[in-house]
Amino acid sequence: MSALRVLAIVLLPLTSAGAQRIDSMAPALAAERTIAIDERLATDASIRVGDRVVLAPEPGEPAGDTVRVAAIVRRRADPSEVARSEYRVRLHLDHLQQLIRYGDRVDRFAVLTAGGAATDSVLRRINSTAFGFRAHRSRDIAVETSKTFLVVSRFHRAIGVITIVASATFLLCIMLLKVDERRRDVAAMRLMGISRATVVRSVMLEASFVALVGSLFGVALGFATSAFVNSHYQSVYRTPLRFAIITPGTVVFSVMLSLMLGIGAGVLAARRLARTPPLTLFGR
Amino acid sequence: MRLQLAVLSLRRHASRTLLAMLGVAVSAAMLLDMVMLATGMRESFASLLGRNGFTIRVSPRGTLPFDSEATIAKAGDGAAIIRRITGVTAVSPVLGATIHVLGGSAPIAAFALGIDPAVQGDYELIEGAHPSVPDAIVASDALLRAISAGLGDTLDVAAGFDPQLQTYAGRRRLVMTGRARFLFLSATDRAAALPLATVQGMGGATRADRASLFMVRTAPGVDPEPVRASIERSLPRVTALSTAGAVAEAENRLSYFRQLAFILGAVSLIVGFLLVTTIVTVGVNERLGEIAVMRAIGVSRAHIVHQIVIEGIGLSVLGAAAGLGLGLVTARYLNSILRGFPGLPDAIDFFLFQPGAAFRALGLLVASGIAAGIYPSWRAASLPISTTLREEAVG
Repeated sequence: MSALRVLAIVLLPLTSAGAQRIDSMAPALAAERTIAIDERLATDASIRVGDRVVLAPEPGEPAGDTVRVAAIVRRRADPSEVARSEYRVRLHLDHLQQLIRYGDRVDRFAVLTAGGAATDSVLRRINSTAFGFRAHRSRDIAVETSKTFLVVSRFHRAIGVITIVASATFLLCIMLLKVDERRRDVAAMRLMGISRATVVRSVMLEASFVALVGSLFGVALGFATSAFVNSHYQSVYRTPLRFAIITPGTVVFSVMLSLMLGIGAGVLAARRLARTPPLTLFGR
Repeated sequence: MRLQLAVLSLRRHASRTLLAMLGVAVSAAMLLDMVMLATGMRESFASLLGRNGFTIRVSPRGTLPFDSEATIAKAGDGAAIIRRITGVTAVSPVLGATIHVLGGSAPIAAFALGIDPAVQGDYELIEGAHPSVPDAIVASDALLRAISAGLGDTLDVAAGFDPQLQTYAGRRRLVMTGRARFLFLSATDRAAALPLATVQGMGGATRADRASLFMVRTAPGVDPEPVRASIERSLPRVTALSTAGAVAEAENRLSYFRQLAFILGAVSLIVGFLLVTTIVTVGVNERLGEIAVMRAIGVSRAHIVHQIVIEGIGLSVLGAAAGLGLGLVTARYLNSILRGFPGLPDAIDFFLFQPGAAFRALGLLVASGIAAGIYPSWRAASLPISTTLREEAVG
């Protein structure tokens, strides 16, 4: 197997390490140095649980460390990693320190507190007394690292507004034309003595029906598209992350919008037709 | 004559024409924005990487430049080997590190680049002088503001902390010689550039004779690809990436935006086409009697087709023209949103107006408008005259 560069991180209990164990070997075999690897690394390099691999801090370095793959893990859906295609290997802390000759050092500590005031107190004490350390609240780090997604979210909202304007204009146009096509029927109804109000109501009812059926078809199309988008991007980025989610709110909003536009356009066009003399509508 | 008839026909249903034009304009704007999004990132990123003539980036094997904390060992020898490769005119070694400016109530952290001032391509000097002596430093405006320093000031800078000994590691006193704009960093990043040897020295044994990256300049007219391959053959522990390769890699990472642009662009085109088709078809159906009369008095079939196609073109052209303005305004707004990405270099734009691509896309929309008019007009002009006249007259 050719050398692969991977990002090595410290092995933590798998339930809390942002990964889900999908295969592992029996504890009895786990006496020698073991590692856990990403599912994508296992697939690309054809590695299975129980295989032996050589870890080295530099490509081609002869002083590698032969270890056994004890588990294959699947990363949890983390948007911050979606565009990164790096492989990950999880090692025990002392193993990694020894492998990369890092000494008794770590990049960071995660500290569990009793919460509330205890967190503030711990933060104050670390930042005032621990030389060379800087403590951050997990929430602040989350806010900082989620800025990218806030930008993407704002972009999606803006694109959504443009799409809504475009589709609303299209819908309005189609509904106006659809009602306009009924000019002869409206003329016949008026000549038979049917009142303007009844004509407007009947056209409005028809417009509502068309808008409702159209929007229901649109919702079905939306679900199909979202399933395709999720399937496509999950395969492209090899992640369980869901890229498109249709919420009940989205469905209600889109159906209500199309109903309002449909009915609005229907009423406008129907009132115009109902006011026009029937013979004019017949082209006489 | 045909043009006049087409204009009159469009004016007959002014509100419908206006609404259709608005619909086409919104579709055109969306299409234009998506074309700008699809090409903008690639062009602005390629333009950024191509500045100063550096065509190849060399990083630790399996990584992209500054994608990880990995460094290249024996950087001096590596740079010398690359310089000897035919076609290479300059090699700029760069070492990235975090430095801490001391002196205030709390140390201020900044991203530091160890560079060779004679061949660097990471920053543009705004004011002052390059850091050409070991104790010199240039900084970004954001860092200067954070530490309240100016040119000529002496800074107390450390490369790290030693918690056990309670001392700073790699401590130096550096003189601020210049103010710079860092090309690959955002304006809000606190950044500094120092001589490479100074950064290596401050990092101690772990940074000695190491580099994060080599930027390689090739002679004008030389294809970077063979040079890139030659570098990888000469230095097995590195990955060499040409500008084209780096752009492809960036595109791969940002493929989501490109695919989104493609899908929404295609949807916009289809919506524009459907809108014009619907308007023209309904318009033609309403005028079947009128068209039959024209045919009966000797107007040719081609004349009628031309007149109706001109209506479709009119709708598309007017809509596309309005869409051009609308698209540029929305592109500027959308670009301002995406420019909020943390750490995005100032030179990167997501939406870039390129006249060729933009007019090709709008031309496609107009062409779809022409196509939209052909079938209904031909069908209407081909109907039997007497039957149509009787049906339309009797109803």
